[in-house]
Amino acid sequence: MIPVSIQMRQALGKLVLPLLVLLSIGIIIAGQADRKLADQARMTVADGLAPLWGLMTSAQHRVQAINTNLREAGRMASENARLQTENENLRRWYDVAVSLTRENDALKTALHWIPEPTPAFVTGRVVADSGGIYARAVLLVAGTESGVHVGNVALAANGLAGRVTETGARSARILLITDIASRLPVMLDASHATAIMGGDNTPLPRLMYYAQDTRPIEGERVVTSDQAGAFPAGLPIGTVHYLHPGQPVVVPFAQLDHLSLLRVFDFGQALIDPPDAPGHVPLAHPRKTLTLPLKTLLGQG
Amino acid sequence: MMPDPSMSAWEPEIRPRQTVWQRLDHGARRLLPSIFIALIIVFFSAPLNIPGAAELLPAIVIATIFFWSFWRPTGMSGVAVFLLGLFMDLVGFTPLGVSAFILLLVHGVAFYSRFGLMRLNFLLVWGVFALVTTGACLLQWGLACLFRLDMLDIAPALFEALLSIGVYPPLSALFSWVLQKLDEKEDP
Repeated sequence: MIPVSIQMRQALGKLVLPLLVLLSIGIIIAGQADRKLADQARMTVADGLAPLWGLMTSAQHRVQAINTNLREAGRMASENARLQTENENLRRWYDVAVSLTRENDALKTALHWIPEPTPAFVTGRVVADSGGIYARAVLLVAGTESGVHVGNVALAANGLAGRVTETGARSARILLITDIASRLPVMLDASHATAIMGGDNTPLPRLMYYAQDTRPIEGERVVTSDQAGAFPAGLPIGTVHYLHPGQPVVVPFAQLDHLSLLRVFDFGQALIDPPDAPGHVPLAHPRKTLTLPLKTLLGQG
Repeated sequence: MMPDPSMSAWEPEIRPRQTVWQRLDHGARRLLPSIFIALIIVFFSAPLNIPGAAELLPAIVIATIFFWSFWRPTGMSGVAVFLLGLFMDLVGFTPLGVSAFILLLVHGVAFYSRFGLMRLNFLLVWGVFALVTTGACLLQWGLACLFRLDMLDIAPALFEALLSIGVYPPLSALFSWVLQKLDEKEDP
């Protein structure tokens, strides 16, 4: 302790504050005059504190990670409960499916059912198609060398995409169901009524020529029909949707605006030759019958 | 004969010499508010993405310095305020010395009016603090304008003042509690 008198100490104590204020003003002026020095001092302090800040941010990150994990765990618990109920439900459906399959098999055996041939298919990558006469068509990197033929059916992951109209050695052009040139015979799944699905270059092809007493129902599934023999029956296409009253369209299952892979199925329709019927006049164009024989074994004959 | 005015002659008779532990204890008590502010400065200048951290830091610091300066000046000396302000300037991006200057002014106002302030009830003290902090924020804004030679937006300064006014009651409650605890320990 420095020996100073009480009066002196009090006087000094009163002087400290004004002196410090003056000193801070001096520092302000000095800092403005020599910015480089000020920045250097700042950087030195920041360097010293950097490990501390690093520690704090890492702690914060860890807390955030724990928080997200906890929230994730809660979400997973609810998801798990949902999945368990769904699984229970599905197990019931599995039993139903198994029993139905057995029943189906039994019925088929009883009827001496002729099994359908398993269709052969090739999968190809879709490349953009700029040429061609169609507005909605894609080019597939798979051609006659891979066994793709005109008239084959192209399926996307979950629905019908189109059919092969031209083939090269290594590529095939596929006319999509949304093209204005596309007219397909379809069947409404609930009523088994037939209709024609005609593309109009929009993403939603229209339904036409349905029977007036069995109108398409909103949300009804639309599948292919084997009328005219171009398609096997029952390939899923999409669901019915009414844009306006009296204007049903089909919302395709396949995402036709960004196709990446397509499976091209050869259902072997071309191999089915109808037996000669004397006096039968073929309705279709004779050249077309060569490529697309219009009868199936199960068709109307 | 005049008594020897030097402290070395006075102190031993008045109280027993402090042990090392007692000295440390006293020192820690004195430094407690300063350490609190230093930690607050380090915490808020860390890149933690706290919303409003830039305004909250000076608000808390001003409130803390005001409280301790008038309530317990031994815990918040002028030198400590100066060093803390300088530290804040070095860590933050204010011009060097500005925070030290403003905090010293706040400290000075609280320190010299402490005998008046101590007699007032809490709401009046809060009102005085509101005036002081608004003045401090406006001064900071004025200095920033002066250094930039441009009129800056005044909204952040007012926001800072409002935050400071809002943050004062909880901090004051906390510090009162701390003071009570310290005093209890001092004379049981």
